[in-house]
Amino acid sequence: MKRHILIAAAAATLVAGATPAAAANRLIVPNVAVAVAKSPMMVQADREWNRLGARPGPLAETWTLDGDVLNRLDFYGGLLAGTTLFREVDRRNRPLPKLRADMLPTDIPTLFEQSYRIAQNTSLFTIDSVAPATLGGANGVRFTYSFVRQDEDVTRKGEAVAAMVGGKLWLISFEAPALHYFDAGIASARTIIASAKLPGK
Amino acid sequence: MKRLGLARLSAALLLAGAALPVAAQLPAAPAAAPPAQLPPIPAWGGTLEPQDRDERGLWMMSADDEQLIRGSRFVIDDPALNAYVRGVLCKAVGADRCQSVRLYVMRVPVFNASMHPNGMMQIWSGALLRMRGEAELAAVLGHEFAHYERRHSLAGFKQARAATDAALWAAFIPIAGLAVSLGALQGFFIYNQAQEKEADLGGLSFVQRAGYSTAAFADVWERLIAEEDAGRVARGQKPRAGRRSGFFATHPPSAERMTYLRALARQAADTGDPGAASLRAGLGAWFGRFLEDQVKLNDFGGTEWLLADLARRDGWTGQLLSTRGDLYRLRGQDGDMAIAAGLYREALAKGHADPETRRGLGLALLRQGQQAEGQAMLKAYLEAKPDAGDAAMLRMMAGLPSPATAGPTQ
Repeated sequence: MKRHILIAAAAATLVAGATPAAAANRLIVPNVAVAVAKSPMMVQADREWNRLGARPGPLAETWTLDGDVLNRLDFYGGLLAGTTLFREVDRRNRPLPKLRADMLPTDIPTLFEQSYRIAQNTSLFTIDSVAPATLGGANGVRFTYSFVRQDEDVTRKGEAVAAMVGGKLWLISFEAPALHYFDAGIASARTIIASAKLPGK
Repeated sequence: MKRLGLARLSAALLLAGAALPVAAQLPAAPAAAPPAQLPPIPAWGGTLEPQDRDERGLWMMSADDEQLIRGSRFVIDDPALNAYVRGVLCKAVGADRCQSVRLYVMRVPVFNASMHPNGMMQIWSGALLRMRGEAELAAVLGHEFAHYERRHSLAGFKQARAATDAALWAAFIPIAGLAVSLGALQGFFIYNQAQEKEADLGGLSFVQRAGYSTAAFADVWERLIAEEDAGRVARGQKPRAGRRSGFFATHPPSAERMTYLRALARQAADTGDPGAASLRAGLGAWFGRFLEDQVKLNDFGGTEWLLADLARRDGWTGQLLSTRGDLYRLRGQDGDMAIAAGLYREALAKGHADPETRRGLGLALLRQGQQAEGQAMLKAYLEAKPDAGDAAMLRMMAGLPSPATAGPTQ
């Protein structure tokens, strides 16, 4: 395990090194409401997090505690029908599935799973549970998942809460290696998710 | 790193199309003339050992690769599936040769098989899903073994310092799916035409000796190209078959390959068993899992083609109908939900008992606003699978009260 963490850390360093200077990381101060994902969604953290300069997509944002390979909290702020969950990895040959305005609550984890399978190059991805939940006062869905990335033998666990409001998808997901990091970070992630406020709600 | 496999593969294809570096340096092969008959199987000289400095280097790299593969979570360790695939290999190449092979079945939904020079053989789940029968599987494994026995990767290594056979298979569906980039030698080396032909013939000799149908293998290329083109067309791109540019302009004339394989099968007075039923039995429940992996690739056209091809073999079984329903439901374009619902109903009418079919039908109906019937289907699903991971959500969607124990997880 230790070896993988080292590799992961090295990979994170490489990724960080490739990030343009303009997209700098920023400290998230606890107990202050902030808008996330270039959207009107507001959340409040109970401890310090780091906002990464690199975004998964135009209306998305990533926070981390120890580096995004070890834990990451992704915000998706009001994605429109016809767009993808995050940036395409290979649009021509392996396009990501597109959002539909008429998606059912169960369609959200399904879209999430397909997007991850394609982007992460993995057939080892499972949705473990799907249950009703609210996000920022809107009725939605909470789901848990686990997956293995290619070239790793680390099992990652994730938990997400999502809602469709007015045909737009709002989603916050936390994921980390199942060993230690998921349990260490999930409480703060849940606090942030519970603090979410959506426009008009 | 995660995209390296694909990038590497594309580069390999470009390279092959542009310059054919490996083939160009090796002696030109008279690949066009069909051979008169299948070659005799040579005497087995025992497990291969590296013989010179180059080969020792190749083995060391192979050992590193194998260590990675062995630890990979993508290896399917189900003893029954491993015993089945190994059994087919051993039946094809014979017990003595089989002893020198360490076989890894990988859960990667891409058509690929390969063998490292140290005796590590891989077959990916995408290949198992696409096999028409056991005879074809035997031919693919026998083909890889023939490369190994003839030390083809060493010849390539000496030329190119890179080797595996992935490009041979993957070239035909290079980017329709996923690729695993495990190990330095997963480098998508392309064997030259003479070597491919030798391996084709060697593989078929094994297949014939084992009593399998020798015809089974002949159209595998055609099917892979057709599937890839179906995927491309569905994505609004031009089909690749028939275009004589890039990779296909200079590299393996697959039509010619089909021709000589078919001619050989005829000459071998093929009476063998294609082994469709035994393959289905051997894959067992994995067949359904591989189908599910395929559907989730978001390759609508390719998957639609593949399902129809599987139906040509098995007929439209309840399982294939239900999987096709999933394919339409996951795409979810206008009109897809009605098609999906129709397919699920057909599956149910055929007695397909998998509760997932009712779940799929229920969700497809709800997406069309057919509330009462959709909810009834979800209730039927929940009766069959009360402990399903999504039971809490589906209970709410089915209009059932939430039991105290099934609230939102925290």
